[in-house]
Amino acid sequence: MANSKKYWQGFEDLVDSPLAKKFQQNEFAEDIPSDEFLGNNEALGNSQTTRRDFLKYLGFSTAAATLAACETPIVESIPYVVKPDSITPGVPTFYASTFFDGYDYAPVLVKTREGRPIKLEPNNLATFNKGTNARVQASVLSLYDSERLREPLVDGAETTWKDALAKVKSALDGAAGKEVIFMTATVISPSTKKIIAELKEKYPNLTHVTYDAVSVSQKLDIYQNLLGERAMPRYRLDKAELVVSFAADFLGDWNGQDVAAEYAAARKPGKNMLRHVQLESVMSLTGSNADKRIKLKPSEYGAALVYLTSKVASGTGHASAFEVGSLNDQLKPQLDEIAKELVAKGGKSLVLVGGNDIHLERFAAAMNMMLGNESAAVDYTDRVYLRQGNDKEVEAALKNMAAGNVGVVMTSGINPAYTLHGYAEAVSKVGTTVSLTDRLDESASLSNIVLPTSHFLESWGGFHPKRKTYTLAQPTINPLFNTIQVEDILLSLTGNTLSYKDYLKEFYQTMVEPKAPENTWNIALQNGVVEKEETDLDYFITEAEIFSIPDLKQRIIEALVDSSTALAKQKAGSYEIVFYQKIGIGSGNMANNPWLQELPDPVSRISWDNYLTISAADAVALGFEMSNDTNGGLNGNYANITVGGVKLEKVPVFVQPGQAIGTVGIAVGYGRTACGKAANNLGVNAYTLISGLEHWNTDVTIENIGGKHEYASIQLGHTMMGRKIVNEVTLADYMNVDPHDWNHHHEFATYKGKLSANETNIWDDLDHETLHMWNMSIDLNSCTGCGACVVSCHLENNVPVVGKEEVRNHRDMHWLRIDRYYSSDMSKAEAAKQGYSGVGLIGKGATDMYAEMEIPSESPDVVFQPVMCQHCNHAPCETVCPVAATSHSREGLNHMAYNRCIGTRYCANNCPYKVRRFNWFNYMGNSKFKDVNPAQDDYGRMVLNPDVNVRSRGVMEKCSMCIQRIQYAKLEAKKKGKKIEDGSFTTACAQACSTGAITFGDVNNKKSEVSALKEDERAYHLLEEVGTQPSVFYQTKVRNRA
Amino acid sequence: MHYEAPIREPLIIGDKSYHDITVEVARPIETKAPRIWWFAFSLALLLFLWGIGCILYTIGEGIGTWGLNKTVGWAWDITNFVWWVGIGHAGTLISAVLLLFRQKWRMAINRSAEAMTIFSVVQAALFPGIHMGRLWLGWYVFPFPNQYGSLWVNFNSPLLWDVFAISTYFSVSLVFWYVGLVPDFAMIRDRAINPVQKHIYKILSFGWGGKAKHWQRFEELSLVLAGLATPLVLSVHTIVSMDFATSVIPGWHTTIFPPYFVAGAIFSGFAMVQTLLLIVRKMYKMEHYITLQHIEMMNIVIMLTGSIVGVAYITELFMAWYSGVEYEQYAFLNRATGPYWWAYWSMMTCNVFSPQFMWFKKLRTNLIFTFIISIVVNIGMWFERFVIIVTSLHRDYLPSSWSMFSPSFVDIGIFLGTIGFFFVLFLLYTRTFPVIAQAELKTILKSSGEYYKKEQKDHGEH
Repeated sequence: MANSKKYWQGFEDLVDSPLAKKFQQNEFAEDIPSDEFLGNNEALGNSQTTRRDFLKYLGFSTAAATLAACETPIVESIPYVVKPDSITPGVPTFYASTFFDGYDYAPVLVKTREGRPIKLEPNNLATFNKGTNARVQASVLSLYDSERLREPLVDGAETTWKDALAKVKSALDGAAGKEVIFMTATVISPSTKKIIAELKEKYPNLTHVTYDAVSVSQKLDIYQNLLGERAMPRYRLDKAELVVSFAADFLGDWNGQDVAAEYAAARKPGKNMLRHVQLESVMSLTGSNADKRIKLKPSEYGAALVYLTSKVASGTGHASAFEVGSLNDQLKPQLDEIAKELVAKGGKSLVLVGGNDIHLERFAAAMNMMLGNESAAVDYTDRVYLRQGNDKEVEAALKNMAAGNVGVVMTSGINPAYTLHGYAEAVSKVGTTVSLTDRLDESASLSNIVLPTSHFLESWGGFHPKRKTYTLAQPTINPLFNTIQVEDILLSLTGNTLSYKDYLKEFYQTMVEPKAPENTWNIALQNGVVEKEETDLDYFITEAEIFSIPDLKQRIIEALVDSSTALAKQKAGSYEIVFYQKIGIGSGNMANNPWLQELPDPVSRISWDNYLTISAADAVALGFEMSNDTNGGLNGNYANITVGGVKLEKVPVFVQPGQAIGTVGIAVGYGRTACGKAANNLGVNAYTLISGLEHWNTDVTIENIGGKHEYASIQLGHTMMGRKIVNEVTLADYMNVDPHDWNHHHEFATYKGKLSANETNIWDDLDHETLHMWNMSIDLNSCTGCGACVVSCHLENNVPVVGKEEVRNHRDMHWLRIDRYYSSDMSKAEAAKQGYSGVGLIGKGATDMYAEMEIPSESPDVVFQPVMCQHCNHAPCETVCPVAATSHSREGLNHMAYNRCIGTRYCANNCPYKVRRFNWFNYMGNSKFKDVNPAQDDYGRMVLNPDVNVRSRGVMEKCSMCIQRIQYAKLEAKKKGKKIEDGSFTTACAQACSTGAITFGDVNNKKSEVSALKEDERAYHLLEEVGTQPSVFYQTKVRNRA
Repeated sequence: MHYEAPIREPLIIGDKSYHDITVEVARPIETKAPRIWWFAFSLALLLFLWGIGCILYTIGEGIGTWGLNKTVGWAWDITNFVWWVGIGHAGTLISAVLLLFRQKWRMAINRSAEAMTIFSVVQAALFPGIHMGRLWLGWYVFPFPNQYGSLWVNFNSPLLWDVFAISTYFSVSLVFWYVGLVPDFAMIRDRAINPVQKHIYKILSFGWGGKAKHWQRFEELSLVLAGLATPLVLSVHTIVSMDFATSVIPGWHTTIFPPYFVAGAIFSGFAMVQTLLLIVRKMYKMEHYITLQHIEMMNIVIMLTGSIVGVAYITELFMAWYSGVEYEQYAFLNRATGPYWWAYWSMMTCNVFSPQFMWFKKLRTNLIFTFIISIVVNIGMWFERFVIIVTSLHRDYLPSSWSMFSPSFVDIGIFLGTIGFFFVLFLLYTRTFPVIAQAELKTILKSSGEYYKKEQKDHGEH
């Protein structure tokens, strides 16, 4: 019916006239005058454009257009022809592996996306060292370091592997009459050790020397003597209630053991909370977490330790007649106090001592024995192999090399020309030197043959970190460059044709699981960790002695008298120096990692540098000054220091609160010259001052040479200025006093009566009840300030690295920072006591109080506070953005729409927490950041997380609570048709936090951990009186003191 | 005709006829520029070009070329913005508010004051633009219809209110200024000899014929526009102040800001008018029109508004103490005694103490002294904005984030560039526009001219 309707175009249509029919058939109403043009031959002939010309023009323009089109940049993006089974684009795949670089050890899960490893996460199946610290977190970037060697080098020229290995073999064969030295960092892989043993069989003149750049060899000597193998007891802080540490930076690095998680677990506030006493010279991360910290010079360590031991010995009924060196009278009552505490705690205490000193370690071990700690916190059975360096072997090797008795030196995984005093000189006397290294570093550039080795993410490995644990490493990517892993190089040198993968599998099946069927290998690879009772893993432990504790105890105590005599001879120097390792850089083997360089030192808050730490009193005495540029940049003077006759010039000097008077400290790992663009020419090389692998030296002279050093200091205000920022309470108050007194919440007088900041509201709030409500709890009591979360956040969220100058300009981009505050001698209570009143125009008043509050105490309490976007539910940033680029979600998150942001920075100004970060430059493209930002490098770019976009210049960015992870978890739950389970996912920071300080979850899920924490009496919001109602809350710090 | 008591000081000095006024006002346009003009113009142009260079560098490289950091997100950019907007206030105040109050003395100065308004608002408007990280997306601030769903601007944001306030103010001021110019352009047109010049002024004068109807419409429109512009005098700086007042930053979060900012704006605007007119008066020998009495009047306004600003400063301090909020208290103690104490005390000295000299007639009628004070006041007002913005931001809630600010050469270059740009515009204006609203001025010649006053005195009123 409907389509029968007809519309006429005119009356002609209606009457159906022939004319109309004709028009309907003609395509054109009028004739096209083509004949006039084409038919007229004469006109065509006269035309200037001939047919041939026309074709020429046509041909030219087609060709030109095609050529022009060719200039379009071609971005290769090739889809899989056959999709690998294990890879689904957009879905990460995880592999269990193990990180060990001779310094840090961690069982990890490697997150790969589309075949690229992009993140390391802790392996929760592990029970030992399961934390991933900042260095482990950052190590994935070292894989993509474009400074890595790509081909083997012989005498500086690139060559083939075949050629290079042949050269090594002929060198080894040719060194028949002489010694061959194979020098490595600690090897904890039994299969690698087996290959070395096989190599030794082939070349009987080969000596394997184990060298740790940061050596604890003298300590190991004791335990080797006692236990028959080079191992340390395993220290279990979770089984102690009192730890007394003499200069042991056990939260920074404890001989490879990661004790932070156990430490934090033992420090849960309550009756049996672990108390921590630290005696040290430099303000270490560990010292800054202590409940009681005593400043001590290195020369006093011995006397203090011996004194303490004698007190403990008499308290526990042991012989106590030791020779005590000269000791400050003020120290004695404090040590008496500590001894009393130790004796009272009995077997639930722990004494640790740092450094590389046999005598000190003997006393610590003895004290632990006297107190009976071997049954709890000191585990002699499950001992740890993470440090095996041997100073005597190193010394002997150097002597032989210098004497010209060495034909070949092979080094692997170490950089002795940089770290070892006298190596460069000694090695010049050696016939052939071979470096197995990942880059052309200081040692490799002295070598004849350089063999590039694979990164651990490209390698196989089997590790035996402690007696009851065996872990595996597997490659997660094909070698990026023409590199071979160390074990395969060694296998080919032994003439073995097996690949290390097969060798390892065979080793595993014959030595680790001899009784097990074939498929345990696959399960072990999948889990990454094999934990066994000791006998099961003893197949490859041949040296260990059977020991009994009473026997050990007797042998330790026997040696004390001699040691006390040795320690009593210790002379004090006018200045004494301590060599320490920074949290970010450690021993310096990953120095070319910009993430680690950019990570500020947790205590000094300085990045991209090392410096001489000095106390304020000594700085005054020597005339050192710290000053600030008008832009807030921190400046210091330079010093020339001489340690044991070795001079180091132009060392920046940094005044460090908490530094013992008469001591200075300096971090190793800096002053690189051949490490890479990011690390070269930063700081000074403190290794040159270490002549005997010691950790401190008492023979120091310091000369002030003035000048101005520009620090990249991230923090300018160091004290809390009397504000409730980090809330703190003593354990006694926490246990006995009403929480309102120590966790005071502001109340506002309103017409409805007194209301808390969260109840005073004039907003139309979003519905936060129905769906998820993401909240985060940060336990300031568990946070040690280690910075793993900062690096983890950096990787997960593609945060740009900005380099030294920009950090100095306070333009760091960290989405998550860890604020560090010192206590001040001045407080509001103190000011009231001293009668400060009024503003301060007449007499002393508020201005004077605040000025004095800014100065940190000389023996400060230290607190750490991780601060990221607080995701305020009444967010000051959201109201001021003119274009609504930042707005709130129903799930309690504060979102950033980068595409919408025009960069007015109004939001950052109005943020009370100052967590917003602005892209001041195009960090992805600006040549100023070429050396530091990995995202500018073709290889470095591969580490970027594809789930998070890279922000452009002029855009504001900030913590998103890892929104990509939230979305992923939501989608996964939706696919399964289930609710998101608490703990099924978490943010990158929470995941990296080994102490469990950060808890993330849904508070609308009443069973979640975070919702319980929100009700905790320690919980409070940062700056809650501003009324921002954050989604992040903090747990009050509890100090274990009366 | 308007009657004025003979004891009032004459507003036009000398034996002037209508023709004299015409000739003298048209003289700068019809004669060659004095050498001093060329010198000033070259200097201004140089600064302007330098400023353009700095702006282009900023746009090309990023805001990182400025001295800002994660804590201090605004500094010279917004300081300059508020400073220029503030300066722009005097023009409207003189032309609109004084018109409504029938202050006849405004007639000699309103043209230049309005020109100054327009030119300084142009400078001001630059900053919200170039301070953006992504200038090329600046159009996002306009509520345009779009296909992104319901994607609107954030009407809660004071920065958005700024966009509307400034653009409204600019357009109304421009129209008001132009309307006043029409009869004067016609005068120039009628006198022009050069045909090109004549043609241009013909177009500019919109066919003004000086008919009674024209005059009637002119008067009516002026009155209507004055009525429109008067609330703007209050609104613009009120809204600018809300950029700060609605925030949570101690030192910004202050309810006193709207009146305090308006008073400050008038204060700085008058000082700038004073500076400019003293130059114009000298350069173009306009002493008979811009008399000592004008200058004295303006000095009185400066003294009054300066004192209001001083009261505001003290009120702020009082409120900080009275509020009992420790952040607020610290913010103000820090202003006065912290690292930026010198900025605070420069502000106090320039804005509160220096105008107090104007209580003395001898000083407020001294040209050189007036000139110096007018410059001092503008320096002080620049510092006021700097103090509010930078000293509040650099130490806010969490000491861990405290920082400092130091300008880079780009910051300085852009500021100098706007000064250059302003003077380029102003100097061109003095050569091409009648700097005195001569048509208006002629209406008071017989009531307020010295000659006629004398005549009146001598011969009595007829």
